[in-house]
Amino acid sequence: MEIVKKREGDKLTLALSGRLDTLTAPQLEAVIKNELDGAKELELDLKDLIYVSSAGLRVFLMGHKTMSKIGSMSLSNVCDDIKEVLTITGFADIFTIK
Amino acid sequence: MSLITTNIKDDIFSIQLHGRIDSSNAAPLEEEILEALNGCKNPSVVIDADDLEYISSAGLRVILRVRKLRPELKIINASSAIYEIFEMTGFTEMIPVSKGYRKLSVDGCEVIGQGANGKVYRLDKDTIVKVYYKADALPDIHRERELARKAFILGIPTAIPYDVAKVGDSYGSVFELLNAKSFSKLIAANPQDLDKYVGLFVDLLKKIHSTEVNPEDMPDQRAVVIGWVNFLKDYLDSEKWEKLHKLVEAVPIDHHMIHGDYHTKNVMMQNGEVLLIDMDTLCQGNPVFEFASIYNAFVGFYDFDHDATVAFQGLDYDTTISVWKKMLPLYFGTSDPDALKAVENKAAILGYARLMRRLIRRNGFDTEEGKKLIAHYKNQIETRLDSVDTLMF
Repeated sequence: MEIVKKREGDKLTLALSGRLDTLTAPQLEAVIKNELDGAKELELDLKDLIYVSSAGLRVFLMGHKTMSKIGSMSLSNVCDDIKEVLTITGFADIFTIK
Repeated sequence: MSLITTNIKDDIFSIQLHGRIDSSNAAPLEEEILEALNGCKNPSVVIDADDLEYISSAGLRVILRVRKLRPELKIINASSAIYEIFEMTGFTEMIPVSKGYRKLSVDGCEVIGQGANGKVYRLDKDTIVKVYYKADALPDIHRERELARKAFILGIPTAIPYDVAKVGDSYGSVFELLNAKSFSKLIAANPQDLDKYVGLFVDLLKKIHSTEVNPEDMPDQRAVVIGWVNFLKDYLDSEKWEKLHKLVEAVPIDHHMIHGDYHTKNVMMQNGEVLLIDMDTLCQGNPVFEFASIYNAFVGFYDFDHDATVAFQGLDYDTTISVWKKMLPLYFGTSDPDALKAVENKAAILGYARLMRRLIRRNGFDTEEGKKLIAHYKNQIETRLDSVDTLMF
């Protein structure tokens, strides 16, 4: 998985590509934990993400919890497959999906 | 051959459509449906599309005319393809159409596990399906999935349940495939690392027990245990029973999570991450209730048959005993032998109460072997009660 960071004022966008699974989830977790640099708005751009496992969803949850204290987190460009995973697991109701 | 079959269940008149419906058979289909509805007194009528493969506009017009007759008409069990036809033609805006479960075949799929309720197949590289033996397993499936989802949202690391699918005549629950090994396998393969694994096993248990749940979301284990104790009233010495009953009633209601079947086959390791599986026993209550089931899983079940640990836990008896003995000081943060003995007594009393009730209900008194075991459980409960004044830790 690759994570590309883009900073615009208070907003940090992380563009994810590839598979977010138990092998790669720790990378994203580390970025959210250590590299927010005071961002108030976090957007995870999933345009090139092809798969999310439970380990990935847990990092989304962690990000959601972290950001809800200081600002907000959203998911954008979610493909149909991942949208379906979010819907059937009930996570579509928890996350802001753009 | 008739084009439809009908049945009545819970006062719902159901019309099943089969195969392809187009201009070649729409007219006789309409005749059959009208004939079937003639004299139908049931308050609601549904069209069951489970076996429907294709429907053309001629068939859709038949459905519209049926709806004129029975305005409450609904369509159920539409496959994705059939649903799309209804959606494209605007039918979904006029008539309630509900989708059926996705149909899956497990022909040629590798069997990767087998449990008391079903068989687990690998579907592809990311998913498995647990197919239940019982044909009417749907309520159980939905229950387990809902519990797993709630635990996941509360931060308990577990596999995520995807959708429910129809597999032949049974139902299956589709889960993410974990590329993981159970703690039983890891301990058996690396006995020198036993302490490390017991440490991780206890860490996850503490995390579960420190997780608060919404009281409506999970069953209350205290009520279940009170049920076991009530059952034993006629089988224990009456003074001892009074004491046990009082002790259980005195355990306060507690809204923290309990796994309910916590042992080394239900805890897995995937790339260094510890995961919990088998969420169907998830409940809430005081940790003593969890320790009762853990005691049975590692000790109580095997008092007369030490070899059985291999079948249940994939470990020999000495190892399951060590897991139990090593986890107590870690969980309770003490190495005082009296304190640990007290913990074990409390867990064992409730563990044996469960085993005793279970065996009596399974006609244990009918065999010599069963009588011997029941007497043993009774003796364990009554003896250990002497040194216990509370079930709280």
